[in-house]
Amino acid sequence: MMASSYTAKEEDGHITVSGPGALRSRKPENTAFKQQRLPAWQPILTAGTVLPAFFIIGLLFIPIGIGLFIDYTGVDASSPCFNCSQSFSWNSSRPFVFDPQSNVYVYYGLSNFYQNHRRYVKSRDDSQLNGDPKSLMVRRNTLELFYNDPNGTKVQILLNTTGIAWWTDKHPINWRRPVFDLDADEGNNGFINEDFIVWMRTAALPTFRKLYRIINKKSGMVPTLPRGNYSLEVVYNYPVRSFEGRKRMILSTISWMGGKNPFLGIAYITVGSVCFFLGVVLLLIHHKCGNRNNNADISN
Amino acid sequence: MAYLKFQRSAIHSAVSSSAAHIGVGISGQEGMQAVLASDYSFAQFRYLRRLLLVHGRWSYFRMCNFLWYFFYKNFAFTLVHFWYGFFCGFSAQTVYDQWFITLFNIVYTSLPVLAMGLFDQDVSDQNSLHYPSLYKPGQQNLFFNKRQFFLCTLQGVSTSSLLFFIPYAAFSVMVKEDGSYISDQQVFAVTIATSLVIVVTVQIGLDTHYWTVVNHFFVWGSLIVYFAILFAMQSDGMFGIFTSSFPFVGTARNCLSEKSVWLVILLTSVVCVVPGMAVSFLRVELFPTLTDKVQTSSHRSAYAFSHQQGYGELITSGKNMKMSTASSTGSPGGTPQSSTWIENMLKRKNAVSCVSDEITGAPAKTD
Repeated sequence: MMASSYTAKEEDGHITVSGPGALRSRKPENTAFKQQRLPAWQPILTAGTVLPAFFIIGLLFIPIGIGLFIDYTGVDASSPCFNCSQSFSWNSSRPFVFDPQSNVYVYYGLSNFYQNHRRYVKSRDDSQLNGDPKSLMVRRNTLELFYNDPNGTKVQILLNTTGIAWWTDKHPINWRRPVFDLDADEGNNGFINEDFIVWMRTAALPTFRKLYRIINKKSGMVPTLPRGNYSLEVVYNYPVRSFEGRKRMILSTISWMGGKNPFLGIAYITVGSVCFFLGVVLLLIHHKCGNRNNNADISN
Repeated sequence: MAYLKFQRSAIHSAVSSSAAHIGVGISGQEGMQAVLASDYSFAQFRYLRRLLLVHGRWSYFRMCNFLWYFFYKNFAFTLVHFWYGFFCGFSAQTVYDQWFITLFNIVYTSLPVLAMGLFDQDVSDQNSLHYPSLYKPGQQNLFFNKRQFFLCTLQGVSTSSLLFFIPYAAFSVMVKEDGSYISDQQVFAVTIATSLVIVVTVQIGLDTHYWTVVNHFFVWGSLIVYFAILFAMQSDGMFGIFTSSFPFVGTARNCLSEKSVWLVILLTSVVCVVPGMAVSFLRVELFPTLTDKVQTSSHRSAYAFSHQQGYGELITSGKNMKMSTASSTGSPGGTPQSSTWIENMLKRKNAVSCVSDEITGAPAKTD
């Protein structure tokens, strides 16, 4: 009875709108987008994709790790008496071992110095550093490196003071009035003094090292730092005992990817081996348990 | 279906589902009151099946996935600051650039998860109708409950610790390729931020089961936009215009051109993603749910016959021979063995879906 008077218009949501006779349908559009029928790629994680991925990661990472680990750079960071609160000189008892033909980089290191403290980072005013004149005082140790050649005379080694800061940090300044003398050289004074720029680049961690000087390699077959005894004279400017900080000086050469980084090498080898081992274990599990899933009926 | 409650009255018909807590109205001759009072309405009862088993189920699945991923990525993003606190004197110094913090949830990671929430399908609509038991996890609240939330938190916390400690250990001794200083706060920030964006993008890629064009566009687009904005914000130009607002000048250019930084990012990303992959794989292998089985079978059926069981059993049992004698009037050897054998394989493959069709009774009509 009811079905006989069923009109086609009211079925499936067609609603008649009174007006100039327009028939408006409430039915949603039958497009792929609106009906959730968009064509798609449907990947699933099968053994065929996961296990090769693990093996490939393992096989890639282990050689990278070995390459990083055996990368040899000479580093000499040992130095006694850095708790002393006065100027001192230090004689190296054993000769440095360096690749004779490369640059030698001199770093100063600090421990327990929280340059990454929020208040310090917040107080950094980049527009001031970019050229707004204000007065500042910066103190830091200066050190000079002397070479004791076999004759017993002390020869001061030329330490290159430029080229230690990032090229993007050396902005052109708008004023030329130096407020303090960091360097006799006019081009390296004020806010474009490279030591200052290096210092102002806030360290991420409380133990850090920053580049101080570069000893350029010499032309010809002359080694940059010939074998022999060296002495280091340090003028103590910045007190660190109050916060139990430690200072150190590091001499290093660099290789194709920077300084020596044993952590990355070991980490890559470890992760590569673990991935490979995991791949083997998962392969065994898949063999034992996975096959029974292939034959399993999908029961309702 | 046992959990659904039906209420029938002379004037209107309404159905409520305890899983989704929606009101459904069916319009009819008696009037439109049910339609006005409901969330969804349609004209015939048979459409209810599709609404519940397909769209209702998909909606539950998508919502749970979305929530899981959203909590995970925010834990991974925020808790890095917890670990950093131990190394910055607990001064609440942020690891990331301020702009990254602002844009992370709005620009870099919002669109891929939105696309997943709109389009993702764990099984196709035909399979959702063929296997009504797939609806059970929704009724039993299995996809997002206290346990799932705890697991998602755990993954977020462990990701954040890996995101912090691997760069921390690497940066303690790292210098640039030209020997100059690189372990500064800004490079540290950019490295961790880049690793984070890559890890959460790979994770949403692994979580998305149904990659439409929109998903591709959003996922790859988010990554490209991240790098574009990174280089734009850390350029000289922005520093020149708004000096105090963009202090990270030059950082991206200096650090993302270093091989060692990219090695750190690669290591961090792999270490964060691989355990999750291994656990999901193991779960599917050892404790497969109905969803996993349906997915595997539909995936396999695309390869036609190559992944089916061996044919030896079929041939030696003589079943295909018997069927060919029954169906054809001619001699057993008359019909080519391969064609009847193919028919039998097809019948075997569809045996389950045919049976379920009979059980549910109503034909599975689309729209």
